[in-house]
Amino acid sequence: MNKNRYPIYWISLLYSSLVFVFFSTSCSKDPVREKTIEDPDTTVVSVNYEDGIFIINEGNYNWGNASVTFVDNKTNKAVQSIFRKSNGRGLGDVAQSMKIIGNLGYVIVNNSNNIEVVSLKDFKSVKSITGLFYPRYMEVIDSNKAYVTNLQNSISVIDLQNNSVSGSIQTSTWTENQVLYEKYMLIASIGDFSKPSFQRKAQILKIDTQTDSIVDSLVTGKEPVGIVIDKEKKVWILCSGGYDYFEAPSLLRIDPISFRIEKQFTFFDTKQVPSRLCINHTMDTLYFLKGGVFQMPISAAGLPVQPLIPSNERRLYGLEIHPVTGNIFVSDAKDYVQNGTACQYNVNGTLIRQYIAGRIPGTFSFTKPATGK
Amino acid sequence: MIKNSKYLLFCILFLGSPYLTLKIIAQNLGDTLHLPEFEIKSSFVLDNKGFKRSKLDSAILMPQLSANLSTILSQHSTIFIKSYGNNTLATSSFRGTTAQHTQVEWNGINLNSPMLGQVDFSQIPISQFDGLEILYGAAGISRTSGAFGGVIDLVTNPDWNNRYSGTLAQTVASFNSYTTNAKITAGTKSFQSHSKFSFASALNDFSYTNDIGEVSYQKNASNKFYDVAQEFFWKLNDRHLFSAKFWYNNNNRKLPATATQTDNKNAESQQDNALRAILEYKFIEKKYNLLIRSALVSQYMNYIQDSLLNVTHTYYSWINRIRFSYNGIKNLTIKPGMDYTADWVYSDSYNELKTRRTVSFFLEMNYNIGKKINASLVLREDLIDGKFIPFVPAIGAEYRPFNNINLAFSANLARNYRYPTLNDLFWELSGNPDLKPEVNYTSEIGSTFNFTTNNNRLFIEANLTGYYSWIYEMIIWQPVEGSNLWKPENVGEVLARGLEVGFNIRSEIMRFKLSFDNNYNYCRSTYEKTNIVNDNKIGKQLIYIPVHNFNSTISLERWKFYFIYNFSFISRRYTGKDNLSYMPAYSMSSVIFGKNLGLRNFILSLQFEINNLFNLDYQSIASRPMPGINYAFTLKLSLSGGRNQ
Repeated sequence: MNKNRYPIYWISLLYSSLVFVFFSTSCSKDPVREKTIEDPDTTVVSVNYEDGIFIINEGNYNWGNASVTFVDNKTNKAVQSIFRKSNGRGLGDVAQSMKIIGNLGYVIVNNSNNIEVVSLKDFKSVKSITGLFYPRYMEVIDSNKAYVTNLQNSISVIDLQNNSVSGSIQTSTWTENQVLYEKYMLIASIGDFSKPSFQRKAQILKIDTQTDSIVDSLVTGKEPVGIVIDKEKKVWILCSGGYDYFEAPSLLRIDPISFRIEKQFTFFDTKQVPSRLCINHTMDTLYFLKGGVFQMPISAAGLPVQPLIPSNERRLYGLEIHPVTGNIFVSDAKDYVQNGTACQYNVNGTLIRQYIAGRIPGTFSFTKPATGK
Repeated sequence: MIKNSKYLLFCILFLGSPYLTLKIIAQNLGDTLHLPEFEIKSSFVLDNKGFKRSKLDSAILMPQLSANLSTILSQHSTIFIKSYGNNTLATSSFRGTTAQHTQVEWNGINLNSPMLGQVDFSQIPISQFDGLEILYGAAGISRTSGAFGGVIDLVTNPDWNNRYSGTLAQTVASFNSYTTNAKITAGTKSFQSHSKFSFASALNDFSYTNDIGEVSYQKNASNKFYDVAQEFFWKLNDRHLFSAKFWYNNNNRKLPATATQTDNKNAESQQDNALRAILEYKFIEKKYNLLIRSALVSQYMNYIQDSLLNVTHTYYSWINRIRFSYNGIKNLTIKPGMDYTADWVYSDSYNELKTRRTVSFFLEMNYNIGKKINASLVLREDLIDGKFIPFVPAIGAEYRPFNNINLAFSANLARNYRYPTLNDLFWELSGNPDLKPEVNYTSEIGSTFNFTTNNNRLFIEANLTGYYSWIYEMIIWQPVEGSNLWKPENVGEVLARGLEVGFNIRSEIMRFKLSFDNNYNYCRSTYEKTNIVNDNKIGKQLIYIPVHNFNSTISLERWKFYFIYNFSFISRRYTGKDNLSYMPAYSMSSVIFGKNLGLRNFILSLQFEINNLFNLDYQSIASRPMPGINYAFTLKLSLSGGRNQ
């Protein structure tokens, strides 16, 4: 062996041990989990969550990055990921919606198959309701009982006293939004989730909330995704026409007593699909998304042509009307792989404020002010 | 003749190595015939004509016989492998590009699905090939268009001196994993046969800590994998070379729910099986040679999500290649060629049978300007279903300034196109038949150096390459405004630039055999264009592509003991295009310790392996648990029946 080659050998050995020592000590031993970078302005944890707006960020399917953004009504600042901040863990996979009942929030986490019950004081989880079938939306019947619609199998009956599933109403279908009319819950049923549109039976189920049984049903257009009730106690249903553009979307008005379709408006421009049917605080104006935000008085003779709030090329995804002020909340999910934004408009469609939200902001939930309705 | 068992081990480790045969397949076919018995293998090809290539040989693959390609590439290359878990989907990012920009070939035929345009690296067992070659960036144009990142070629090759030999190996590993590998090779100086079989099953029920710090167990993650291959090689007069290769595998696996799907009611499973067959003929003359290859690929995939989904995708490909090489003109080699590929896809997600016919015309010219400069020009023209996609040219040059120092500088410049995948075009409701091909402009400069002492006891090589690559008209799946559907559109623009460093040492000192391999990739790959408003992604790093990726392997051998330590470091990977969420950096270590016991014609090897040595609690992809420290024990029996004289 040539003696003068030794240095190279030893240098390489030295180098390798250095590399080893450097890397094996430099990396932290903390569990490697997803982390977020936040604007320092918004990292402060709110004192409480009893007066403000919740933006429910679905998160990406199977990425486990659902979150809740809170906008404090006093400061108008958005605080991100409040569930994680209060509970030290993620919310789960695909947060579909949130219902506020008293001083509790029920965050429905679709693909985690649970409902996180949180206290609005500190947003700490007080219970996690399981035994669901990919839950969607929750509607309250009385202080003891609520229904939760599911993507499969059945509608779940929730006992609000001990926050658990107390029963189920078998549907074998994907059930979506619901409205309460006297003792009946009217629930939009989209059909068998695993089937294409032409094999799905779209209908509105009329459920007697005292017996938890289906008492009537009414066939509608494909995918009745939205259902609201107006001040004249008429029920409006928005049918998207099917994810596969099976038929033209339509807006129906039904009478909850006779359970018949009274009016039907068909969307002939099918380039964009309508979604997110809402009603305002005075219950006399309908809103929905169709690219932009459209507004339609319940007395209107036809569908609106011009949007109140144009999309301006945004991917508007969520829409909700504030139950007290009537202000319009819209979310922009952008390309679904970055944080979205939410905007608040007044009833005339003038932008009031814009907030940074989390990944795929889909629905909103509003706290009831102490002196609220 | 076998002198002693040390020599035998030597034969097994080195002679079957791809160094010999990579040349047969990739380069001048004439090289096959006079091979040195022993040569220190360099990973970086010095004589690269301006295009970077590197190799991973059996010395690296052998001890990881029961691993799959994703493990090997993440431990021994600059290619980043995005793994969804233990033995589950693994895709690549090569030089900051997406999975569809890496093409994987098996003995020169494409393994990328014409539907998805990518390969699942977890489905390719190491036992299936003898070595692999990596073609970086524009180097891949000599094989295909559209591989903006590069091409990975898995090769099998004959050892004409082999009379008969066999290997039987059994691995028992953590999480109820069992792998059996068997290989029998036999033949004469002019005929060789390889038979390979492997069977792997795993319960994969490893524990991990969930979000609230509780220990959970991975459920619904088991898999069963069969793999069978038969290869024949026949040589006539040292001028005609025939080969026939068959490879079948069948993989049944359950797909685990994510860490946040605590109450998953719709268990997922997937079954894949694939059959690949190649017939190949090579004719070798002094001044010219010829290659004719025809291959059939059939791939079946069935995905079930309990009662919700049950979809089947089947495709067949017929892949043909003719290459001619002529070096009768002084300083010039001309290699014209033609490829013809036909794909048939039956998919539950397409409305009807979809087909694609691709004809490619190919011309490569290498020209030596004096002794020091070697330039090459590669031209490719693809005709897809009767439509010409624009011309793909690449030009490269290599400069070797010294006669007695192995130092080379190289540079290349290329334009490349990637045609949309069949899913992009035809996926039910979402497919966009109006898509245009993606465009790539790329350039690269690099240098390679190697050095060997006179007594062959020390070998050092180093490689430094910088690349700069723009992708235009990139196909991005995006939600359609005012709709629930996603559609692919030519809306993206990505700039990927970076630096690759390789540094390897092999040495023999006081009978210790040492090798030390290092790979580092610095890669900035950023979004450069948007079609949505208020977009925060411009100038930000692509999701799930680390800026720094480093790995290092030390192996030591003495008294028939061997020890291998692998270390890899992966920097932060962003999980949002706005770069406001990320998976933290981590490093991973693994060790292999083994002993070879020689007994006449047999070698018994005992090997113990520890993965995730420091028991790091990590996720490579958000919400996808990875196992902590885990072990594998392998017992291997090798038999060699001597050499053909």
